[in-house]
Amino acid sequence: MKTALKTLFHFIHGNPEGKREATENFINKSEDFRLLLSANGKALELMAEMTDAARSGQSSGITRIRAYSVMVASSVRQMIERLCRMAPGKYETLRDGFNEIVRDMDQAFAGPSRGPLGPSVIRMRDLRAIDLPEAGSKVAMLGEIRAELGVVVPRGFAITASAFHLFMEATGLDDEINRLIQIHDGTTLEELNDLALSIRQAINLAPMPRELEEAVQEQCARLGDIRFAVRSSALGEDAEQTGFAGQFISKLGVKPAQVTDAYRAVISSMYSATAITYVRNRGLREDEMVMAAGCMEMIDAVAGGVVYTRPPVGGGSDAVIINAVPGLPCAVVDGSSMADSYSVDRATGKVTRRDIAEKEIRFVLTSGGKVRKEKLFGGKELAPSISDRDVERLAALALRIEEHFGHPQDIEWAKDREGLIVILQCRPLTVCEEAPVPRNESWPQDEESRGLAILSGCIPASPGAAAGYVVKVETEEDMFRFPDGAVLLARNARPQLSALLPRAAALVVEFGSSVGHLANVAREYAIPALIGAPGAVERLSGVGVITVNGTNGTIYLGRRKKMIQREARPAARVRTTDVGLALERVLKFITPLNLTDPESPDFRPEGCRSMHDITRFCHEKAVAEMFAQDNRPVSGAFRLAGERAMQYWLVDIGGGTTVEENGSANSSQSIGIESVRSNPMRALWYGMMAVPWEGPPVPRLDSFMSVMTSAAQNPALEAGARNDMGERNYFIVGSRYCNLQSRFGFHFCTIEGFAGDDPNVNYALFQFKGGGASLDRRHLRSRLVAETLEKRGFIAEIREDALFARLEGVSRQAVEQAMAVLGYLLMHTRQIDMSMADPGMVVHYRDLFEADIEELLEGLPDELREAGCAP
Amino acid sequence: MKKIRLLLVDDEPDFLTAYARRFKRRNVEITEASSGQQAIDHVRESEFDVVILDVMMPRMNGLETLRRIKAIAPDLPVIILTGHADSSVLIEGMDMGAFDFLLKPVGTDELYFKVLDAVRTRHRGQP
Repeated sequence: MKTALKTLFHFIHGNPEGKREATENFINKSEDFRLLLSANGKALELMAEMTDAARSGQSSGITRIRAYSVMVASSVRQMIERLCRMAPGKYETLRDGFNEIVRDMDQAFAGPSRGPLGPSVIRMRDLRAIDLPEAGSKVAMLGEIRAELGVVVPRGFAITASAFHLFMEATGLDDEINRLIQIHDGTTLEELNDLALSIRQAINLAPMPRELEEAVQEQCARLGDIRFAVRSSALGEDAEQTGFAGQFISKLGVKPAQVTDAYRAVISSMYSATAITYVRNRGLREDEMVMAAGCMEMIDAVAGGVVYTRPPVGGGSDAVIINAVPGLPCAVVDGSSMADSYSVDRATGKVTRRDIAEKEIRFVLTSGGKVRKEKLFGGKELAPSISDRDVERLAALALRIEEHFGHPQDIEWAKDREGLIVILQCRPLTVCEEAPVPRNESWPQDEESRGLAILSGCIPASPGAAAGYVVKVETEEDMFRFPDGAVLLARNARPQLSALLPRAAALVVEFGSSVGHLANVAREYAIPALIGAPGAVERLSGVGVITVNGTNGTIYLGRRKKMIQREARPAARVRTTDVGLALERVLKFITPLNLTDPESPDFRPEGCRSMHDITRFCHEKAVAEMFAQDNRPVSGAFRLAGERAMQYWLVDIGGGTTVEENGSANSSQSIGIESVRSNPMRALWYGMMAVPWEGPPVPRLDSFMSVMTSAAQNPALEAGARNDMGERNYFIVGSRYCNLQSRFGFHFCTIEGFAGDDPNVNYALFQFKGGGASLDRRHLRSRLVAETLEKRGFIAEIREDALFARLEGVSRQAVEQAMAVLGYLLMHTRQIDMSMADPGMVVHYRDLFEADIEELLEGLPDELREAGCAP
Repeated sequence: MKKIRLLLVDDEPDFLTAYARRFKRRNVEITEASSGQQAIDHVRESEFDVVILDVMMPRMNGLETLRRIKAIAPDLPVIILTGHADSSVLIEGMDMGAFDFLLKPVGTDELYFKVLDAVRTRHRGQP
């Protein structure tokens, strides 16, 4: 490109020295103008994307929002730099205003400020509920019930939020993790797994701060040679805890010397592919996720399970629900095994119902501290996991805990070899008030649904009815392919599936418990759910759309509209998410347009209060600097004469016209196209005029409305259209050079070409942006133009509806042909974006263009010869 | 066509290799530097048309590297390309005369066109 311009100047020799300098200035200015327009397009595009994201509430992480903001700022700053170069000394104060707005934007991102760091570890015996912000609720609540109620909980300690911050900051991990999230910009499973792997490596490589390492080892030494369970205790709102819980790992059977390694693993689990998806779906800020950890002695349990102090579905009932399995309680929590189930009357404290399951396996702790799966046989499968007396002790204990917190509880427990009941975890329980209809009771069938039930007698886990396409999820890959609004079908109630629930219409699971983690999350999201639906995977595979009735435990074929209406429940409350809030706050400094009137006295750098204002200001001033009367280039601008040429102006930077030779014209005069000697301009003009334009396609009503709304929503586009200067179309020509800046209504276009005898310095470029139709149609239009150009050797790039294409290092004839094609496309792709909704029209235009262009190129050599351009 | 001489500065070897491979097909001659100091040595010893510079590097960071490059070759265009969405780096870098500030990940085409823009601007003899 360097030599291209040298060659260009070479062609301009012969001008008086002063004039030549002025011409060079003009070329420079025109190049700055081109770069400014390109930055302007990008800034507006990014703003539109951010606005869309805010309106749709679509999931995206805070890292992405921050990246977008900085990219907007970068484009705007680029516009300022270009404008300052176009007119040195006039607009320098823009930078101050820009800096100030950027500072405001940064403020909008800042989370709540954090106080000084506290201790890295806190012993269980010192923990209370009030320590939740340091220890996370999981561990703090255990400390609370131990101290206040004398409940037995495991010995151990918490690694605090302060420890997490210390680790992140002392090692620079926080910056590094943000950077990794930023550069791995993707949402597919593969991309997110790559990201998770990179973050895990970074966490593993970061040295543990010495004071943290020492504090942990001191606690371990105090507790002796025991085996630990190192559990995640993430910080977040209470309501988030359940959703989160399934995503993070616990390390079991950890030796004292391995506790910090296990701690790293727990932190890493916060960035797993599913956890990140969950965080994004929930609009949480990944830069504010904090992981505390509980390090607790492993309980060598003979039995364990979960207590719900009220039935989670149908909270009106006066019962405590207890689930139990032999061995460690992990099998209940993760839904991998059937469990015994008991009801206890809250008033009398007596067992009212017992349901002993056939339990095939149990988990036990080996002497080395490992967790091992064992098969049950010899009648043990059918033995109750615990005695009725244990059940009643548990219920009484659970009710004390409920009373203390004043809210129904979800409690994980274990019974050790000495018969002691140890509480491992307690947290608030989400309860649905409506009672489910017992599954054997007849359900009134409406006409619509009669005979369409394909599976009945499933266990209701969350009430209501919803329909959707049924999609089976078995592997992690299935999870990422899961479409929004589908019915989630799975074999086991794995907690990881909770990451999908915000997007699912309903949930059907073959095995698991209606009181398990997944059921709890389904109720939280108010998604109808059936857990305990034997045969569902086989029966439902490939049946298409089904309606899941989470109240009567039945699944119907197709979409049962009446039933869905009848079962309608208030939607889970929509809350503005943390990311949404940050986005709204930052948009206040980006998108509002205050500078609407270029004639107003406020239209100056000091009046710019948003990024959009600066964009608008720079654009307006750049157009003025480029084309206003007193800024005209040296040789002046000629108006092109001729019926179809009246809207075009022409600037000759040397050798592009015969005007100088004749010495007859001055800048107030018009010249005819026959006076143009620039071969790339002749080719371009020929392409523009060779095939008459039939006018815009008749817009369909919806496209027309879309034009109107676009214009109303994007004043920057409208402003340019209204502006007299912007409406002008300028050719800048030399003997082998041509640059066209043109604007037709909403469309903005730059075409440039150099066509000399040395292929090494030849090029053609094309930039095209805008349009009145909706973004998808404009994108299709750009795609169509790009295809046409790529066939002719251009490298084309599309960003939204903007197209950038370049052709380089080709013969003079190839550039001339390219210019003719560009001229044709410039004239004939105007407003076809309106028709782009219809795939048939895309094909129609593609064929039409190919035929026209072929014919056009045949006539080109003659045209250039007649004009005297051909050698 | 004359090759563009590009100095690519990044401490991440993966990044260097990936971009170097993609650019070599495009008439660009790439010199790699994996630290700020190495970049400065290269700029002292050879001629370049454009520099792509990372920000977060151990020892000498990108902004310091930029300052020193500008002291040696004031009109050598430098494109900052960083994984760090940090507005203060944007402002400081542009104040020091960076040609542009881009965030990773950037498509090869977009980066290539930026490189062409930067090279063009330089050879128009602008400061």
